[in-house]
Amino acid sequence: MLEINSLQTRIGDKEILRGLNLTVKAGEVHAIMGPNGAGKSSLAYTLAGRPGYDVTGGSVRFEGADLLALAPEERAQAGLFLGFQYPVEIPGVNNVYLLKAALNAARKHRGLAEVDAFEFLTLVREKMRLMQMDESFLSRGVNEGFSGGEKKRNEILQMLVLEPKLALLDETDSGLDIDALKVVANGVNSLRSADRSVVLVTHYQRLLDYIKPDVVHVLARGRIIKSGGPELALELEARGYDWLLADAA
Amino acid sequence: MTASPITTASRAPTNRDENWKYANLRALSRVSFSATPDDHANDSITGELPARTTECRLVIVDGQYSAALSDALPRGAELKLDTQPAKIKDPSVDRHFLNLNRRGRRQTLRLQVLQHQSLQVEILHVSTGIGQPAIEIQIDSGAELTLVERHLALGTTASATNLAIDIQLAEHAKLHLARWQHFENPASYIETLNLSLGASSECDLTQITSADRRDVAVSSRSTVFVSHAGEGAQLHWNSAVIADGQQQHDAYVRIEHQAKRVQTHQTFRGIASGRSKIGFNGHMLVGASAHGTHSGQSLKTLLAGSEAEANVRPQLEIYTNEVTATHGATVGKLDADMLFYLLSRGIDPSTAESLLKWAFISDVLTHLPSAALRHHIEASLVGQLPGAIAARESSSQETSR
Repeated sequence: MLEINSLQTRIGDKEILRGLNLTVKAGEVHAIMGPNGAGKSSLAYTLAGRPGYDVTGGSVRFEGADLLALAPEERAQAGLFLGFQYPVEIPGVNNVYLLKAALNAARKHRGLAEVDAFEFLTLVREKMRLMQMDESFLSRGVNEGFSGGEKKRNEILQMLVLEPKLALLDETDSGLDIDALKVVANGVNSLRSADRSVVLVTHYQRLLDYIKPDVVHVLARGRIIKSGGPELALELEARGYDWLLADAA
Repeated sequence: MTASPITTASRAPTNRDENWKYANLRALSRVSFSATPDDHANDSITGELPARTTECRLVIVDGQYSAALSDALPRGAELKLDTQPAKIKDPSVDRHFLNLNRRGRRQTLRLQVLQHQSLQVEILHVSTGIGQPAIEIQIDSGAELTLVERHLALGTTASATNLAIDIQLAEHAKLHLARWQHFENPASYIETLNLSLGASSECDLTQITSADRRDVAVSSRSTVFVSHAGEGAQLHWNSAVIADGQQQHDAYVRIEHQAKRVQTHQTFRGIASGRSKIGFNGHMLVGASAHGTHSGQSLKTLLAGSEAEANVRPQLEIYTNEVTATHGATVGKLDADMLFYLLSRGIDPSTAESLLKWAFISDVLTHLPSAALRHHIEASLVGQLPGAIAARESSSQETSR
């Protein structure tokens, strides 16, 4: 699904990723943890193609194709989804249009006709029920006036409608109370399948109580410095990162 | 057309004049408003008129009222035509084009909404050449007028319009005014609007200026004088300008607060793409007797072209201490975070940009007094904001199911 080899990026003069390697197979859920400033969000943004994150070395293959050669919208159309840590508010562009336009862009990429209006609404309503979102959200501006938790639910709603092959969820758990966390986790779990993958960027082990990862990585100083099973997250919760940083130094 | 020369006491403005710095005077100077156009038959025009946005429509062709194309006014209002030239009251440079109109107009259309009556009317200006329309509207005490004012250019030649419009609201009168200046063909357009607000009167004015396509050569200039003459009057001003190509739109809006407890809320949004130029000078004066006045101003322009220009200028002159006044003006570019968010959802860059431009002016559009008119305006913007219209249509269909 995703193969990152020796990825190096900069923002301006600042080196962010310094030779990062990561392989995610189809059907797997990976969690990326690490101290503040390690480069976790930068990895997500680099993969999604955010301007300003300059790739200076390495390669990224997504389903065998060169991901870095694609424009941001082409990456999304090809099946990559970024769940933002801080979803932006776009007053004046409403949610339902964004959902439909995004879905149709992905369908067009796959050679499919535009989604039927009735089918679309049925699909959206089903996913909204799962995310415990009120239908009034559809006619509101994208994330406009949403609470932090509502914005995160909206990100997951978009993911469920788009059914991406690879979802990168950047601190989707931050700012969520325990009930909202369960709803978001349910949404992510409902998408799990043998041909889809999820990369969770998170600070806290508690998300992993609800979304069981196959692999846990520690990202520090622009590299993956340790990988392991779910038990690694528990160990990090108990011991912090210092012991790993000392080993990696 | 024959020309008889007109003289006014005022001199023509130049770009050195404070309130005319950003007006396209070169385009206006190519048009001779200094001549009285011949009276001509205006009851038959070739070309279809757009659908009405209100039941009653009055049609003005090149500045002259067309009885044949207009509807009868319902009860509660009176219409009169005055064919005498008007006198020049103020020879200042800001009123030069108004004075040309006063001397050169063929007629003045006078509309009066009688006391405590309510009326909805559309005024359609049809341009086939040069016109100097003149309209005076009196809204009597306690009366309410919803007025849609719009323009249609017929033919392929450039049109030139010098409009004078004068509106007076008596005490407790209400005006919902939607002004839609949409240019399908090349045009030079200039107007002077005088608006006088009586005690406890309320006016909400929404004005949209746009063109069919980026290659339509258009320059426009609005000069507006608002007077809060009566205690407790309120004005809600919302205007938007969408410019592209080499289009140039400029406005000078002077709002005088001369009575107690009056309010002005002014919002302007401009989008300058391509090599277009937008100017908006919002001049607020709060006089010494205007205790308890509130005036708020939000002027924002989006630069969406590397060679586009925008000049927004808030001016506040306050001569009393008992006043609350807020004002802000920005000239910015498309928000990079919003743009990336849309791209990250697979939306192509040109549609994403259109959507953000649409979002930028959508606040103004929501103030339009009728849904039918809003629909017309949105549909007309498709040439300049492709994709964005589909957004609205699709959204309204989905959410109404």
